[in-house]
Amino acid sequence: MATHAPTHAPAGHGHHGEVKPLWYWWKRAIVGTMVGTVFAFAVMFFFRWAFGFDELYKGQPYAAAIATFASLGFVIGIGNFDWWWRYLRGKHVDYEDHSLHGARTFRDYFRVNTDHKVIGVQYLLVVLFFFVLGGIFAMLVRWELAAPGHTIADGETYNGYFSVHATLMIFLFVIPAFAGLANYILPIMIGAKDMAFPRLNALSLWLLIPAGVMLSVSPLFGAFSSGWTAYPPLALQGTTGQTLFNVGVQFAGASSIATALNFLVSIATMRAPGMTVWRMPLLVWANATTSVLVVFGTPFIAGSQFMTMFDRIAGTNFFNAGQGGDVVMYQHVFWFYSHPAVYIMILPGFGIISEVIATFSRKPLFGYRALAFSTVAIAVLGFGVWAHHMYVSGMADWLRVPMMITTIIIAVPTGVKVFSWLGTIWNGKLHLKTPMVWALGFISTFVIGGLSGVFLGTLPIDIQLHDTYFIVAHIHYVFFGGSVFTIFAGIYYWFPKMTGRMYNEKLGLVHFWLTWIGFNATFFPMHWLGIQGMPRRVADYDPRFADLNLFISLASLGMVAGTAVFFYNFIYSWARGPRAPWNPWRSRTMEWLVSSPPSLFNFDAQPQVVGGPYQYGIPGARHAVVFAGEEIGGGELTETERRTILVVASETVASATLLDEIRERAHEGVWRFTFVVPAEGREHRAAERRMQLALAVLAAEGVDASGTVTDGSPILAVQRVLAEEPAQEIMIATYPTGTSRWMAQDVIDRIRKISDLAVTRVVVTPDDARRPVTSDAVRQVAVIANDTLGSRGLLQAIQERADERPLNAVVLCPLSLDGPGWTDEAERVRQEAAERARVTIGQLERAGIPVRGEVIDRGPVEAARIARDDFAADVVLVCSFRGRDHADDVLPGVERAAGGAEVEHVVVDAEAPTAPAGS
Amino acid sequence: MAIDQVRAELSKVPGTPSSTSRGAKMSQGLLAMILFIGSEAMLFASFFVAYFMIRFNIAENDWPPVQDPATGERFELPVLLTGVNTAFLVFSSFTIWWAEHRLKHGDRRGLERGLVVTMLLGLTFLLIQVNEYIHLGFTPKDQAFSAAFYTLTGFHGLHVFVGLCLLLICYLRIKRAHEFTPTWSTPLVAASLYWHFVDVVWVLLYVLVYIV
Repeated sequence: MATHAPTHAPAGHGHHGEVKPLWYWWKRAIVGTMVGTVFAFAVMFFFRWAFGFDELYKGQPYAAAIATFASLGFVIGIGNFDWWWRYLRGKHVDYEDHSLHGARTFRDYFRVNTDHKVIGVQYLLVVLFFFVLGGIFAMLVRWELAAPGHTIADGETYNGYFSVHATLMIFLFVIPAFAGLANYILPIMIGAKDMAFPRLNALSLWLLIPAGVMLSVSPLFGAFSSGWTAYPPLALQGTTGQTLFNVGVQFAGASSIATALNFLVSIATMRAPGMTVWRMPLLVWANATTSVLVVFGTPFIAGSQFMTMFDRIAGTNFFNAGQGGDVVMYQHVFWFYSHPAVYIMILPGFGIISEVIATFSRKPLFGYRALAFSTVAIAVLGFGVWAHHMYVSGMADWLRVPMMITTIIIAVPTGVKVFSWLGTIWNGKLHLKTPMVWALGFISTFVIGGLSGVFLGTLPIDIQLHDTYFIVAHIHYVFFGGSVFTIFAGIYYWFPKMTGRMYNEKLGLVHFWLTWIGFNATFFPMHWLGIQGMPRRVADYDPRFADLNLFISLASLGMVAGTAVFFYNFIYSWARGPRAPWNPWRSRTMEWLVSSPPSLFNFDAQPQVVGGPYQYGIPGARHAVVFAGEEIGGGELTETERRTILVVASETVASATLLDEIRERAHEGVWRFTFVVPAEGREHRAAERRMQLALAVLAAEGVDASGTVTDGSPILAVQRVLAEEPAQEIMIATYPTGTSRWMAQDVIDRIRKISDLAVTRVVVTPDDARRPVTSDAVRQVAVIANDTLGSRGLLQAIQERADERPLNAVVLCPLSLDGPGWTDEAERVRQEAAERARVTIGQLERAGIPVRGEVIDRGPVEAARIARDDFAADVVLVCSFRGRDHADDVLPGVERAAGGAEVEHVVVDAEAPTAPAGS
Repeated sequence: MAIDQVRAELSKVPGTPSSTSRGAKMSQGLLAMILFIGSEAMLFASFFVAYFMIRFNIAENDWPPVQDPATGERFELPVLLTGVNTAFLVFSSFTIWWAEHRLKHGDRRGLERGLVVTMLLGLTFLLIQVNEYIHLGFTPKDQAFSAAFYTLTGFHGLHVFVGLCLLLICYLRIKRAHEFTPTWSTPLVAASLYWHFVDVVWVLLYVLVYIV
C-alpha cells in the first residue's frame, strides 16, 4: 500500500505521537451504533407512548428511526465529530489540527482521515466494493432473464434485484467514484495543500458507508421493489427494505452535498496564484459545475424521500389521491433532482476524458473554452428537462412539447464536447495507452447512448418506447458506456499518481476489450428487444425473446471476466508493480509536477500557474511552476532536477540497513544520493569496491546515486564534497554507539556543525555490515578451492573479477575425503581447511568483498552443486595450482553440476610473485 | 535559484499575478454557509412545490380542505396569532444584527446580550408554534394538505432549532473560549446568516401558506 510519508520533516505538523490504534476507533464505532439503536428505540417508544398511539410497536417507524440513529451513532463513534465536540464544549481547538492527517501504514486507510489523498483512496475502495456488489445483483437479474418464466426468483424478489442493482450503482458507485477521484486529484490540480474543509471531507466519506450498508442489506428485510425511482404508490407498499432505501438515500445525498460544498469552496478560494478560471483544467470546471448541480439539486430527492417516508411511517397522505394527494407530484419532485443527477453522473467523466484525450493526443485541446462553456450549458439546461421522464405519467399536457424541445437542445452542448474531443484527436500523435483506449471506447459508446437519448426525448417515440428495454439499453449506454468507462479511464490514468506504481498495460487492454465487447454484446441487442415491445422491470417475458435474452445473459459474462482482470491488475500492481515516475504520461497539469504519490501536503511551497493546462507540443509553453520547500533550498522543483543527500559511510556502505533507508527516501522522488566514503588511510580499493557494490544495487532499482572515495577523515571528506556540490541533507551510517569509532570521535555532531545541514544517523550492526546484499546487480561468485586458499594468486583473481563487476563471494572448500568422515584424521583435515578458508575470508573482507564460506567433505562436483542450489551462483571459479592437480578430470563434472552457471578455471602459480594487496 | 528570484521573474510574465489568487480573499466559511443555505432553500422549494401541486388540485373555495368531523366546519389557520409569532422571528433577525454590530464596536457584553435576546425570541417562536399545533384541530394524517402543512412548518421548526443550536455554540465559544474579535468572527457571521435565512423562509411560508 502506498503511504504518504512527508517528503520533508513535518515540523509543526507532528502530532503523530498521539495516534490511537485502529481497534480503538472501531470499538467506538460499534458502541456508537449500538447506542444509536437503543436511543432510537427509546425515543420512538416514548414518542408513541406520550402521544397515546394505539399501536405502541409498529415496524416501519422503528425501522426508520433505528436506521437513522444507528448510522449517526456509527459516524460519531468512528470519530468524525471529536473535534467538534471539543469545539462545542468551548475547549481550545487547533483550527489547523492535522492529528488525523496522512497515512503511514495501510491501517491509516481504515480510520477517519482528513488527508484528501487518503480520503480519495478510501472512496475508491468503498465504491469498488459496491461496484462488485451491484454487479452481483446485475448478474442475478441476467440469470433470471436468461430464460422465460421464473428461473431463479419470483417477481417480487426479482424486483428487489434490479432495484438494489440500480441504487447501488448510482448512489454508491458512479456518483461517489467521481467524488473519490476528484478528491484525490482536484486539490493537487488547483495547487492546494488539501480541500477547504478536511474534516467535512472525512465526514462525507463516512456518511456514505452507512448509506451503502443500508441499501445493500435491504434485500434481507424484504427488498424494495419499486426500482431506484421508487414511485409511489408502489413505494408505499414495500416492507423494511423500502424504508432502508428512504433513509439510505438521505445519507448518500447528505454525503454528496457535503462533498460538493467542499469542492466549490476549494475551487473558489484555493486555486494557486495565476490560475484564472480560463487556466483551470477541465476536470476542475466539470467538478465545479457538477457540485452546483449537487448542491441545488439533491435537496429535491431528499424532499421526495421525506414525503414517501412520512407516508410510510407517519400515515400522511401526500400520495393518496383519496385524501387530495398527488402521485405525479412525486415524479416532478423526484426528477427535478434525478434528471440533473444524470449530469452529475457524467459531467465529471467528461472532465476526465478531456484530461486523458489532451494528454495522449499530444496536442493542445481543441476548443478549451467551448468545452468549459458546454459543461456549464449542460448544467443549466439540465434543470429544465426533467419532465421528459414523465410523458406518459399523466402530467400537464402543455409541459410535454417545451420539455421535448429543451431535451433536444441539451444534445447540442454535448455534441460540442464530442466534436472538441474528435478535433483534439484529429492529427494528434496518439499514444494508445490504457486510459486513452478507455477514452476512445467511451466516445464510441457514449455517442450511441447520447443519440438514443435524443430519440427518447422526442415525444412520439418516447410514448412508444417508454418502459421498454430500449430505455434499459439507453441508460446503460450512458451510465456504463459513459460514466463507468470514464471512471476506468480515470483510475488507469491516475493509478501511478495515487499508488506510486505502474499498472500492467497489457492487462489494462485485456480489461478494456473484454468489457467493450461484452458491453456492446449485452446492451446493443436490448434496443431491438425494446422496439419489439419487451417491457423493463418484469421478471418474465414473451418466449419469442428467449434466444436473444440468453445471448445477452451470456455476453454479460464478458464484463464479469473483464472486471476480474481489472481487480487482479489493480491489486497486484498496487502491491508489486514497478515504481511509477512523477509524470509517466508527460502531462502538464499540476498533479504530475509532484512526486508519485505526492508528499503529505502536496506542495512544499506555493506553486505558480503561468499558462493554460493543455498546451501540448507548443515550444516553451508551460502550465505551472512548482517550487521546492525553503528548507531544501527553494527553486523550481522538477523530477530531473533533484536535491542531494550526502551518504557518509565506510565499512557499512553496502549494508542492507543503509540501502533500505536510501530506498525509502528515494521513493519520495526528490532526492539523488552522493556517497562519501572516507578511506581513512586504510585500503582505498576496498572502500571503492564496497561503494561500487552499493551503487550497483541502487542503480538497478533506478535510484539516482553516485559517489567518491576520499582519503582522510569523514569530516574532511564531507567538507571537500560540500565545496563542490551543494547538498540538502546528510545521512551517516555508523556501527552502534560503543562499537563505532566514529561515534567515539563525535563525528555526527562535528559534521552537523561544519555543514549546518540536517543529519540523519543510520545504525548498522557489524553483522549486518558483513552480510552480503542480494540483488540482481550483484553477481554471486562461488570459489571452489582447497590448497589454493590463502594464496595471493587466488585473492588477486577474485579482486580482478570484483573490480569488473560487483560480486558476493562464497568460498567452498571441497576436501574430497575418501574414508569415513568421523575419524580424527578427517577432523584434522577439516580444521586445517577451515583455517585456510578463514584466512581467505578475512583477506576478502579487508578487500571490500562480501564473502561467506563453507567446508565440504565431498569433492568439487558436490561443491559446484551446492554453489548452484544453495547459493544461486552465477559464476563458479575452480582454483588450482599450476601443474599440481587433475583439474581437467574434474572440470566436466563441475560444469554439469553447476548447471547454468559460468565455470572458470583459475590457475594459480605457486611461485607467483606476491603483489601488494590493493595495488 | 532562490524562490524569490523565480517569483520575481515570473511576475514579469504578463497575466501572472504575483501574490495569491483573487478567490483566496473570500472567507471559506461564509462561502460554504451561503452555498449550504442555497441547498436548504432548495429543500424548502421541494416542499413548496408539493404544497402547491396539492393545492392546485382543490377548488379555491374548499381551501383549506380540512373540517371538524363533529361540526363539519372548516378549520381556519390562526393568521393573527401566527402573524404575531412572525413578528417575533423577524424581530430576532434585528437583534442578532444588533449583537454583531456591538461586536464591531468591541462591546462583548452587548454581543452576549444580543445573542441571548435572539435565542429567547427564537425559543418563544418555537413554543408558540407547538401551541398552535396543539390547537389546530387537524393532524398530519387527515389530508394531503395537512401533510404538506405539517411538513413545511415542521421542517421550518427544525431549522429554527438548528439555528438556535448554532447560536448556542457561538454563545458557548464566546463565554468559554473568549472567541470572536471585531475583525474575526466568521462562525458568528455564518450562524447569523443562517438565522436570517430561517427568518426569510418563515416570512415566505407565512405569506404563501397562511395568508394567500
